[in-house]
Amino acid sequence: MFKVVNATGGYGKTTIIRNVSLEVKSGEVVALLGRNGVGKSTLMRFATNLIPPMEGHVEIDGNPAPNSPAKRAKSGLGYVPQGRFVFPRMTVIENIAVAAATNGHDPKKAVEEALADFPMLRPKAHDLAGGLSGGQQQVLALARALAIMPRILLLDEPTEGVQPSIIDEMAGILKRINRDRGIAILVAEQNLDFCLSIAERAYVMEKGEIRMETDRDALLADKELQQELLGV
Amino acid sequence: MELDFLATVLLSSLSSASILLIATIGLAVVFGLMGVINLAHGEFLMIGAYTALTVTQAGVPYILSIPIAVAVTMVIGAIVELLIINRLYGRLFDTMLATWGLSIVFYQLAVLIFGTVTPGIGMPQFSIAVGEYSLAGYPLLMIGVAAAMLIFVYLLMTKSVYGMKARASIQVPHMAQAIGIESSRTNMLTFSVGCGLAGFAGAVLLPIVPATPSMGFAFVIKAFLTVVVAGPVTLTGSAITALGLGGGASVTASFMTSVVGDVFFFVITALLLWLYPMGISAKWRRKL
Amino acid sequence: MSISENLYKHAGLVFPAGAVVLALVFAGQIDPYLAFVATSWVIFGLLGLSLDVVWGRGGLLSLGQTAFYGLGGYFGSVVAINLAPATGNSLIWALPAGAAFGALAAAALGYVIFFARMGPLQSTILSYTFTLLLWSVTQTFKLDVGEASIGGDNGMSNIPGIVLGFGEDAEPLGPNAAFAAAIVIAALLYFFTRWLMRGTFGRIVDCIRIDAEKTELLGYDVRKYQLLNFAYSGALAGLAGALFGLWANYLNPSIFSVQEALLVPIYVLVGGLGTLSGAFLGALAIGALSFFLGGGAVGGQTTLILGGVLILLVLFLQNGILGGLGNLWRKSLSDPNEAARNAGAVKIDSTVLGEILQDAAKDAGPAKNMGTDEAFKQFGGVIPVNKVTQTFTPGKPYSLIGPNGAGKSSFLKTCVGMYKPEGGTVTLGHDDITHAPIFDRVRKGMGVKNQKPQVFGELTVADNLWTAAFARTHDTDKAEEVAAKILSMLGLEGQSGVQASALSHGQQQWLDIGMVLCLAPRVVLLDEPAAGMTNEETRELSSLVRTLAKHTTVVVVEHDMEFVRTLEGHVTVLHQGEVFAEGDIETLRADDRVLDIYLGRSEHV
Repeated sequence: MFKVVNATGGYGKTTIIRNVSLEVKSGEVVALLGRNGVGKSTLMRFATNLIPPMEGHVEIDGNPAPNSPAKRAKSGLGYVPQGRFVFPRMTVIENIAVAAATNGHDPKKAVEEALADFPMLRPKAHDLAGGLSGGQQQVLALARALAIMPRILLLDEPTEGVQPSIIDEMAGILKRINRDRGIAILVAEQNLDFCLSIAERAYVMEKGEIRMETDRDALLADKELQQELLGV
Repeated sequence: MELDFLATVLLSSLSSASILLIATIGLAVVFGLMGVINLAHGEFLMIGAYTALTVTQAGVPYILSIPIAVAVTMVIGAIVELLIINRLYGRLFDTMLATWGLSIVFYQLAVLIFGTVTPGIGMPQFSIAVGEYSLAGYPLLMIGVAAAMLIFVYLLMTKSVYGMKARASIQVPHMAQAIGIESSRTNMLTFSVGCGLAGFAGAVLLPIVPATPSMGFAFVIKAFLTVVVAGPVTLTGSAITALGLGGGASVTASFMTSVVGDVFFFVITALLLWLYPMGISAKWRRKL
Repeated sequence: MSISENLYKHAGLVFPAGAVVLALVFAGQIDPYLAFVATSWVIFGLLGLSLDVVWGRGGLLSLGQTAFYGLGGYFGSVVAINLAPATGNSLIWALPAGAAFGALAAAALGYVIFFARMGPLQSTILSYTFTLLLWSVTQTFKLDVGEASIGGDNGMSNIPGIVLGFGEDAEPLGPNAAFAAAIVIAALLYFFTRWLMRGTFGRIVDCIRIDAEKTELLGYDVRKYQLLNFAYSGALAGLAGALFGLWANYLNPSIFSVQEALLVPIYVLVGGLGTLSGAFLGALAIGALSFFLGGGAVGGQTTLILGGVLILLVLFLQNGILGGLGNLWRKSLSDPNEAARNAGAVKIDSTVLGEILQDAAKDAGPAKNMGTDEAFKQFGGVIPVNKVTQTFTPGKPYSLIGPNGAGKSSFLKTCVGMYKPEGGTVTLGHDDITHAPIFDRVRKGMGVKNQKPQVFGELTVADNLWTAAFARTHDTDKAEEVAAKILSMLGLEGQSGVQASALSHGQQQWLDIGMVLCLAPRVVLLDEPAAGMTNEETRELSSLVRTLAKHTTVVVVEHDMEFVRTLEGHVTVLHQGEVFAEGDIETLRADDRVLDIYLGRSEHV
């Protein structure tokens, strides 16, 4: 249902990703693995149209995705960026409400649902997002992306700077929304355990290109590849 | 008697601080929500004042002339955003230069259309007695108007969907787009609202500040400084700065001369910028 | 080098000189009234030049130039009214007095702006307020100074004309001669300014505009250069104002008006920002336009047109006339950046590097220790540096590692002075540098390479290195010698004339490292130096870091464990702002707890 075809892009004149193609099928959870600096984030920004494509395109449900980030969001693409980027001087509720209202959903209902999905946000509901801890911000960024009711969710390093207990909780939530709402997920990660706990299939990136496609069992079995991926 | 005098000084200082705040809010909104300094803000004030004056002279009651002034300035603001401002986002100083040019164009147009001297409209006559002193009522009313404007802008920006979109767009522009906000439309509305607030200020202050082509320049000095000293949390910051600086200057002026009052204003401004180079609210955690 | 290239290089000298000669030839022949009016264009050109110095070169949009202009005008005229009768000549009184007062006013304003390290917006607005304030104050300002009488909005009259001769019977010059005198004065100032801006001072001012942080990381006190540049621009404006007073014989507060102030950026934008001579061209174009359209430069419909012109300029013509012509011309020349494409891979010869480092030790003294004691930094609820105590000594490289968000970069920024710690101390050698400004730390021997390559893109490779070397040596020849050595060590001799921005990302990283080496640092801090480098480059870098560590103290922040392994040094693992583990890399790799925080596994965290 979601395809990136021949993506080539970067910043200014610098090309960072070359000819990257990948696909996420309906209801699937796919991981995007690779060390820092291989172009995972750039690919995510390419997919959301936050950087202009040099070549290649994106398809949602077999149709070419529209050429503006805002319109892509409206066509069902949710995005949780690396570094979270919640709206710092807006409350938790406002962060969620603005995402819902912008896309024509009832903000009150969206907030209620989000607080039910993520109970840890409830005591912080009226706090400014900028004052939350890293983990709470990450969860909020996820809740905000879900409030636009996406059909495909892109997550960029969702575990970065998040404490392990929350990582576990997040994995659980992602599995649940994937199962219950049929939202497909593409997650870029360095945290292998986290990826393996939610994704069935993975792409491995190296130097701006897709080096291989593999599945969970193959990855689990291959210690050497694990070491190499993480640089440990 | 001493106490009465003190009360009148405080009241009139509060009222001049409020007048400063009324003139500043539109500028603060545009700067706070778009990151744009509109150097033509004073001229939008002037346009509001002339609109109110013209329709009043045509027989419309003064109170009805205010919404007309708001509408006119909002439309002009939207056109200016469409033609000039939206081509210059992210280029702060180019925006300043372009709006500066615009301010001169508006000023000169006003000279051409209205001449340099225009009749004022009479101040609504009522006064308030404080002990043995009597204060003109209309300037005091401005305290209420300033408070009402603050509340209106606060509610607009926090309770309406538009307000949330506008704040999201300035805080993290790329994420605002990524959740579906068309920031160009939001920005046009914000600029238009800012200009409308300036028009409102011009109209509502008309009985106190008569319309002249150069009235914009006089107002903007302190309004700019207020916004710049206020920093990123523009609304609260501007309110506090206007009260502190404007009120302080006015108190100083009533005990000494108005020149000393102005000197107080500028010296304190320089001092505050020295202490807080990015504005007093640079580290605050507040919404607006 | 072809004639065209030669001419292009000296265009700022040849064409203005030609224009001056031409203007002087015609000065005697044109209609006296035109000569009279044209004199004011020359004066406005000088005023525009003052803005170009501070804006086009210094990077600060000052809307206060007419304030210095007006102040210089008033002060210069007051002095001339009182003292010129004694000598006859009015220029020797008015011009220096105007320049001095303009410089003083600019220095006072600049001190507040630069030493408070105000943001660019605050600076511009403050300069604008300064103008507006003077406009309103001078309306009512009345003062008699000797023979001179400043009369508020009535203005000040009886200012002597432009008198060149000396003695009691010296007469003011006629319009044509005055025009010629103004041209000569403007030409002298222009050529002096050009000389200044092409020299060391101008180079550093350019660097500050391009990247103020990097300039400070080279050890330059950027505030001083900004202040000096601003004061110089104030002097130019003040002198122009004084000349204006002599020309007009009369001054009033309208000199401070917004309409007047508006013209200055227009001159600069029309001519071409940063070109220096463009300001004169702009003043001439605008002046001639309003002259032949009828009406003076200010007043009437001209104001309306000029306002519109400014808007159109900002929207459509950013480079101005000279900028646009220069771009066209450059296209016809051979590309000086051609050589960038031929650069081979960088190979560091450790023997050469060793010699350079030994030389550096001779100049700059032995390596220094760096240490932190309970360093603590907080942003709201996040604590990126939580009571970190570390000592770094020369001998072997120190690496700081840890997963993303562990606080590695924040710790480094605290050492560099980009973050001010809330607690604890940072020491360099025997000095407590916890509160020292960045440039001071650099002068004490700290060399810093940030994650992104920081090079001055508009400058050539050789000039980049020279600027770094000069920061330490303060000696033109010595700096050249040091820069040449580093250049050859990097193997970039073939690219010495290439603009740094034309280099590839990897080459820029090496150039940046080369600039740090030019400083002969006693402690070197490298933030993720291997990021974005190829495997081959990473190997070279590793060997460079190891050699460096034999001579100085080296601290590397890195999260590429493989790279850290090749350094064979001491490793500190940071986690959530605290020191989590220390030791050599093999021990840490075997440590399950370290693996856990890297993998995000929960057992040990």
